Amino acid sequence: MLAETTQDYLPDEAQPILSVRDLRAHFRTDRFGVKRDVKAVDGISFAVRRGEIYGLAGESSSGKTTLIKTIAGAVRPPLEVVGGRVDFAFLPGYGGLHRAPAAEVARIRWRHLSYIMQGSMNVLNPVRRLRSAFVDFAYPHIGGSRKQFEREVVAHLARLKLDPSVLAAYPHELSGGMRQRATIALATICRPEVILADEPTTALDVVVQKEVLGMISGIRREIGSSVLLVTHDLGVHAHVTDRLGIMYAGRLIEEAATAEIFRNPLHPYTRHLISSLPRIGDDVPREGLEGAPPNLADPPPGCRFHPRCPLAMEVCRRQVPATLETAPAHRVACFAVNRSEEA
Amino acid sequence: MSDLLLDVCQVSKTFSRGGLLSGQRIAAVKDVSFQLDAGRPEIFAIIGESGSGKTTLSRMILNIETPTSGKLRFAGVDLATIRTGARRLAFMHKVQPIFQNPFESFNPLRRLDGYLFMTHRRFIAADWRGTPETAVDEALHKVGLSLKEVSRRYPHELSGGQLQRVAIARALLANPKLIVADEPVSMIDASLRISIVNLFKRLRDDLGISIIYVTHDLATAYYVSDRIMIMQQGSVVESGDARTVLNAPQHPYSRQLREAALLPNPQQAVL
Repeated sequence: MLAETTQDYLPDEAQPILSVRDLRAHFRTDRFGVKRDVKAVDGISFAVRRGEIYGLAGESSSGKTTLIKTIAGAVRPPLEVVGGRVDFAFLPGYGGLHRAPAAEVARIRWRHLSYIMQGSMNVLNPVRRLRSAFVDFAYPHIGGSRKQFEREVVAHLARLKLDPSVLAAYPHELSGGMRQRATIALATICRPEVILADEPTTALDVVVQKEVLGMISGIRREIGSSVLLVTHDLGVHAHVTDRLGIMYAGRLIEEAATAEIFRNPLHPYTRHLISSLPRIGDDVPREGLEGAPPNLADPPPGCRFHPRCPLAMEVCRRQVPATLETAPAHRVACFAVNRSEEA
Repeated sequence: MSDLLLDVCQVSKTFSRGGLLSGQRIAAVKDVSFQLDAGRPEIFAIIGESGSGKTTLSRMILNIETPTSGKLRFAGVDLATIRTGARRLAFMHKVQPIFQNPFESFNPLRRLDGYLFMTHRRFIAADWRGTPETAVDEALHKVGLSLKEVSRRYPHELSGGQLQRVAIARALLANPKLIVADEPVSMIDASLRISIVNLFKRLRDDLGISIIYVTHDLATAYYVSDRIMIMQQGSVVESGDARTVLNAPQHPYSRQLREAALLPNPQQAVL
């Protein structure tokens, strides 16, 4: 397999808050002599600017969650970081949280970097009241007297239109939407610079989903955090994200401003994804994409989309397409697209 | 009455919880009525959020749950009178379910073709001239798969979309008149979702199967369904032609749902 990737284009920005360079994270197992190497994140580069909401979209098993876990430093076997680096503006020099010493990680977490997860039930301890969760997570960072801390928590809850009485509740006493809002309050109380949000609204009803998303974008406006928002729901991306990266089989295949992706998708996969979305008030028949996403333990050589791609050429089967800036601030990894642009 | 495929007549379902003294009664479905015409196969969408009673209603249509009051008739037969195993089998022959999570509807330790052959044996083996393999292969072809792809495979070896299609093929083997699909695409990726939804359209047009499509996703409901019914806390708040209702919802709750649905148009971003 020829893996001659030319130098990837990287957005030239003065100071991104988070930059990921050629990150590779694999799940490696070696049991009973059977070696498996699942390339869940395979050479991803992107940067998140200060104060922006950066979206990542892709199907399940495209590596979105692994990527966000690696950025958060939650790297435990069988997951291994094989190469590349993650740089935060507030954590220079280490090349990622997974390489930083434990004391440094404890200083960063919640204060500079926080994480909103999909199942809010699993984040909160079911046998402790929410007040204890706030004390556990945020008190070491905020400090001061307990009374003062409590006043600050209540003020923060009020900002998110949550009643202070939730502090006395156990997680199971709250509805799914309330719980997710409480975890968002928890994740934002220390005013972190970066918030990682992994499918924050997937389990919620549409009306509650809109509220929660409104809350995330309100937080961004108010405290100026950058948000890395991962979800497979393109409807969500259309409404809240500034820029959007599309992932397929462990690689970032396209990146541009969200409006640009929807208006002018270039990669055949993205183009298909956008055109297959049903819209209310539009009766045009849509076509499904044939085939299934590749097995990441044994991905096809070359471009990983080529077995399903309508534009596949000979070169796609042999070489990995480089991610090039095809249009201004629009990066695409596709031979067919980049060739026709050159011509 | 016999020209109605399904007649749901003022059906209610109340669940009681707790003891005799401190019991709590929860009305999951309140006084719901609708009819499906036997001569005109259609896709009928039931829309609602969690807790709206849409799953309880679909379970009553499948005769898994009995209504507290009201009547359900399938092709003129009152579902409450179906007591014997033989009559239940005859009912299941005509009404088949598809569930939300294909990974949960199949036992991970059993091979997929086993399910298909079992369904074949139960419902059509007596009338089938060819080998069971041809019957199963034919059903799989209707959903864009073949026996060769599925044979001897376990559920984890297939993707969610493929697995959901196997579940649909299994339902088709019984040669049903009605398929009740409870959130069939919510666990499936966007790129595969549309192919399942297109498959429903094909089943309606080519095989004349009516489909009850239970969902919370307004966009796919608009795309496939002929009629829709919006439920809130057990009651129907609005129903009618899918295009009319979704283009101009009348009830405040339907309007709220319509506005909360995040459509993929960044130009009209609301957040």
